[in-house]
Amino acid sequence: MPSIKRIAVRVTAAAMAAATLMTSVAYADEPYTGYNYDWWGDPVPSQNGYVVDKVYTGADMGVGALSEPSDMFFSDNEDLFIADTSYKPTNGTDTAKGRIVVTDSKFNLKYTVESLDLSGIQDWLDYKQSELNTGVLSQADYNKITNTSFNGPTGVFVDVDTDDGTETIYVADNANDRVVAFEIDEINDDQYKTAVGKVTTVYTRPPSNMYDSSVTFNPSKVLVDAAKNVYVCIKSITKGAVVFSKEGDFNGYFGANRVEATGEVLLNAFWKLIFSREQAKRMRRSVPVEISNFDIDSDNFIYTVTESKSAETDILKKLNSAGTNIYTNLGYSDYTFGDALTKWYRGQTYSSQITDIDVDANGTINLLDLKTGRVFQYDDECNLLFIFGGIGQQKGTFNIVNAVESLGDRVYVLDGRKCSVTVFKQTEFGAIVHQAMDLFNRGKYEEARGPWEEVIRRDSNYWFAYIGLGNAYLNEGDYETAMKYFYYNSRSGYNDAFKSWRMNFIRDNFTLFAVIILVLLAAIYFISVWRGKVRAKRNAERERLFKEQNKGRED
Amino acid sequence: MRFNLDMPAWKWPFYIMRHPFEGFEDLRWKKAYNMKVALVIVAALFIVSVCSELMTGFLHNYSDVKIFNIVPIVIRTIVIFFTWVIGNWALCTLFDGEGTMKNICVNTAYALVPYIIGQAINIILSNCLIKGESAFITFVSYVTILWTGVLLISGMKTVHQYSIPKTIVFMLITLLAMVVILILLVLLVSLFQQVYVFVYSIYTELLYRFSNLEPTALIFIFIGVIVALFAIVIAAYTAFEKHQIAKERKKLNS
Repeated sequence: MPSIKRIAVRVTAAAMAAATLMTSVAYADEPYTGYNYDWWGDPVPSQNGYVVDKVYTGADMGVGALSEPSDMFFSDNEDLFIADTSYKPTNGTDTAKGRIVVTDSKFNLKYTVESLDLSGIQDWLDYKQSELNTGVLSQADYNKITNTSFNGPTGVFVDVDTDDGTETIYVADNANDRVVAFEIDEINDDQYKTAVGKVTTVYTRPPSNMYDSSVTFNPSKVLVDAAKNVYVCIKSITKGAVVFSKEGDFNGYFGANRVEATGEVLLNAFWKLIFSREQAKRMRRSVPVEISNFDIDSDNFIYTVTESKSAETDILKKLNSAGTNIYTNLGYSDYTFGDALTKWYRGQTYSSQITDIDVDANGTINLLDLKTGRVFQYDDECNLLFIFGGIGQQKGTFNIVNAVESLGDRVYVLDGRKCSVTVFKQTEFGAIVHQAMDLFNRGKYEEARGPWEEVIRRDSNYWFAYIGLGNAYLNEGDYETAMKYFYYNSRSGYNDAFKSWRMNFIRDNFTLFAVIILVLLAAIYFISVWRGKVRAKRNAERERLFKEQNKGRED
Repeated sequence: MRFNLDMPAWKWPFYIMRHPFEGFEDLRWKKAYNMKVALVIVAALFIVSVCSELMTGFLHNYSDVKIFNIVPIVIRTIVIFFTWVIGNWALCTLFDGEGTMKNICVNTAYALVPYIIGQAINIILSNCLIKGESAFITFVSYVTILWTGVLLISGMKTVHQYSIPKTIVFMLITLLAMVVILILLVLLVSLFQQVYVFVYSIYTELLYRFSNLEPTALIFIFIGVIVALFAIVIAAYTAFEKHQIAKERKKLNS
């Protein structure tokens, strides 16, 4: 029989072993701290909605190293297209730079596109040749737009035809001054599975009577809507995106930003009232800031973002087909996006520069901030959901972020300096928030109550959960609880709850109020009567004294 | 209708509130200026300001309740009040104003009563009204502020025996005087800060020079040095005085 001492030793040893086991459970902290904004607009710590899943480099995809990739796109077939901007083909010419890398959603290589085949558009080639001969087009321009390889492609978009399923790839071929649309027929069986793009249309600089000849035409991003109109984002144009028809004809501009009402602009507007036409012509023109990137959702709304450091309005716009922004004109103020505060730290100003946007099938918006390397996720009503990512060297942080995409519950961020794609996966907390927000936005406040309560249990700083719960109780008619949740979380929600609560309170206690008011009125009446009597008495007394005093004098 | 003016001191502010012009004249006639009541009113102004920061209903409260700081409220009420009194006295004494500091203080305080009452009403209203009914709150605050303005003009007019235009002009100039006083105050504070920094830098300098000494010992040495300096100055002065006296005596003797 073991002695007590031996038992004690064993128990201690077991406990220590258990403790070591518990501490040795792998625990990876994220290199960024999750945070969110509260009702006051102050940043507060929060749970992470997204954590890093894996980082994929070019080698992981089997295409060698990527070189300054600047855009990526998930097609409707869930294939990932990456514009590998500075890649040098092994046997290419001086003007050959860049390729398109295509993988499936698991990052298994499908094919890469390095060269193009223009033989399918002989009519167009002949037309350009004639333009070259008549001198409309210079030799250099002709060489550029008929180049059979890319020269720094910075944007890629894939349109999958809903009828026959043909996949047309649109590439913004930046230094070649063109956007090419091509299809893929066959894939070679070499190392990188190269394929030749069969060009179907080339979109080039519009004629000079419609497009200022002094402005460059370097497409940076491209997008195609359901009617196959092609929208081209060009950094040197402040009038919005350049729109081409399917055939390649110039259709005009789309979605320009507004001119921000700065002091200088207002002063200029004042001087223009006074100046003559000649004087006004010589003034500096106020032009809006150019849009820097865009995305299109399943309902054909186009979302544009503005990267400029100084811009404060029109950071994110949701445009309908007429080019009207739905995210403004709410009557009071514009939304704010990105980090709320401009921070000054060690001689550098930090303010958000939204460089890319992604809208997923549910309408969830991911904004990518170039300055802080963070992704800001919003729901389709512009309520902030999560902030994740950052600048740094660890997994989950970035050097220069270039593009953001999402597929299902994952968010993909492309780093142009690290030349890798970082995959973020949704946490359990993130899933609950998304479920709650989805129910909330569909108006199912009561159903959303459970998820919102779970959100608060996990993170009591999560501001929007209180609004969700407040609305749930408001809908149920529990105004007092609703007021409790809306207090310092939503003024309009509190207003509605308080209005109904007050109505109920007065209705329930009407008799009491009536009695109090009647008693008060009676009291006022009796007091005034009593005071009148007292005063009359006092005046009579004075009169008597006065008469008594003056009696002697009269005699 | 005649009023009995032999009323207790606390009734005067309310009497004046109901009689903006006659009231101050009566106050002057009866010499019923009461400093205690005035100070109570200033205290009430301060308390009401704190309450309106903290107790105004959520729907109508636009102040940043996350951080409650009492210093701005003290400055907004008490400091501004006394700066007004001092500024007005300093200015109007030079321009035939008859008011003493006490009278100005009392009249200004009595004029503030409607504003305090309006604020108190607004605190209650803001907890009963919804956002769409905020016009009532705005109305109450406008009326009471206007009333206070009228009382202030009347009070200043009576206390200095000015005409109304002259009163208004001097009230505006008083605002400028207040600005000057506050700027001088800030200047003084920063000057003393400089002195403190100077003394502190000497202290740290000594600390570096005699790093083997205890800091407490250094403080004593420092104080000792200052006292010694004072002693030297005083001794020199006394010696100089003695010398002078001796000189005088010599003169007288000769």
